[in-house]
Amino acid sequence: MIGEEFADLLAAAQGGGEAAFSRLWRNANPALLRYLRVTAPGAEEDIAAETWVHVVRGLASFRGDEQAWRAWLFTTARRRTIDLARHRSRRPEAALDDITAAQLPSSADSAEAAMENLGTAAAIALLAGLPRMQAEVILLRVVAGLDTESVARMLCKSPGAVRVAAHRGLRRLAQITADAGVTL
Amino acid sequence: MPNISQPQRQDEPAVTDADLASLLAGTTDAVPGLRPVADVLAALTAEATGMELAGEARALAEFRRRAGAPVPAKRARRSTAGLTSRLWVKVGASVAAVVVVLGGGVAAAFAGVLPTSFQRLAHEVIGAPMPPAPHDLPHRGRSAAHGQVVHGQPAVHGKPAASGGHGAKRQVRPHATPAPTAQGNPHAQGGQGNPHGQQGQGSGQGHQGSGQGQGNRHKQGNGQGQQSAGPHGPGQQGNPQNKGPNGSQQANRRAAGHPGRSVGTRPARDP
Repeated sequence: MIGEEFADLLAAAQGGGEAAFSRLWRNANPALLRYLRVTAPGAEEDIAAETWVHVVRGLASFRGDEQAWRAWLFTTARRRTIDLARHRSRRPEAALDDITAAQLPSSADSAEAAMENLGTAAAIALLAGLPRMQAEVILLRVVAGLDTESVARMLCKSPGAVRVAAHRGLRRLAQITADAGVTL
Repeated sequence: MPNISQPQRQDEPAVTDADLASLLAGTTDAVPGLRPVADVLAALTAEATGMELAGEARALAEFRRRAGAPVPAKRARRSTAGLTSRLWVKVGASVAAVVVVLGGGVAAAFAGVLPTSFQRLAHEVIGAPMPPAPHDLPHRGRSAAHGQVVHGQPAVHGKPAASGGHGAKRQVRPHATPAPTAQGNPHAQGGQGNPHGQQGQGSGQGHQGSGQGQGNRHKQGNGQGQQSAGPHGPGQQGNPQNKGPNGSQQANRRAAGHPGRSVGTRPARDP
């Protein structure tokens, strides 16, 4: 999170300031990629690039604080992810040999991979083993830094449902790490 | 019955919702059972790696292309062009709507399906057919459908000659005694009035005769009147024909009071 500087950075970026935009991008893009690695494995780079293109187009008309900025960014990424999923469902094209390990469905093996103490990648692999809703809520709350209300609006759920999903996901995560003896 | 108790898992963390909330908030002093989870969440928010920042040049290039200095001028031009095109779309849609409404109205007027007041207005403005007179309607339907004979009152049906009967000349022989209104008078020909070119027939039989008539009220018409019979001989037969809005008329009538005698009308035209 940027904090108090955000308003100045946003105004500068909206005025065409390249350095300000670079700062915004460097702050948000890693979190965006981590979110997309769970929700759109294998396509995170492309979706992130499309998301930034969309953000650059609408940057001049954006109004809001840092929470709104991040909510806009991740909402855009989420919509692109949904579009990609629809496209893939209409035109499945990946041969079995072309599927990478990152694209394989996550399972208990993710916990074993996390045991290898791989840091962020292992944590993402653990999150990917959770049910989709729980993983997405935890990522948006922790990685994107959004509050419960923003996540609820983004996912079209009630704040209570978001809270419950987050707690269930954390409990499950605790269970997985306890079973596997994960240490990051 | 054996009492098999479910053993409590020793490694299951006993956590509360408050613990989870503090975990999500990033509090570091998590309960011991949640320490691995706190480590996972901390790893999710770790410093960015080089790979995660590799796309900066591409994003900046897009930013320069779209958010650079020339963009406002382009945007202004685009917005002006957009306004112009939108205006033309609205104007075109309005013109199309007006054309459709007017065309439909004209078509309806010439089809004669407008309400009477509108039909009359259309008649005066664009020359659409006149609306039918109220007393034409029951007669038209009745005579055209069945050609009913109305005894003694052929004149009731004599409307068809309304436009064609003006100035009609008639000759009546003294011995011809058909019903008076049936003698070569288009008004009396037991006919019909059809304002739109429909045809109907009606016949009337008066005191000593019968009448038949056909008439077309407006544009073109022809009438036939026939009267005959009676103890004194055949009555009258006529063919009034009307042409033009004012109803030029031609009528041929024959009548005979006694055998061999006839009463007829000569063709006549409106002044």
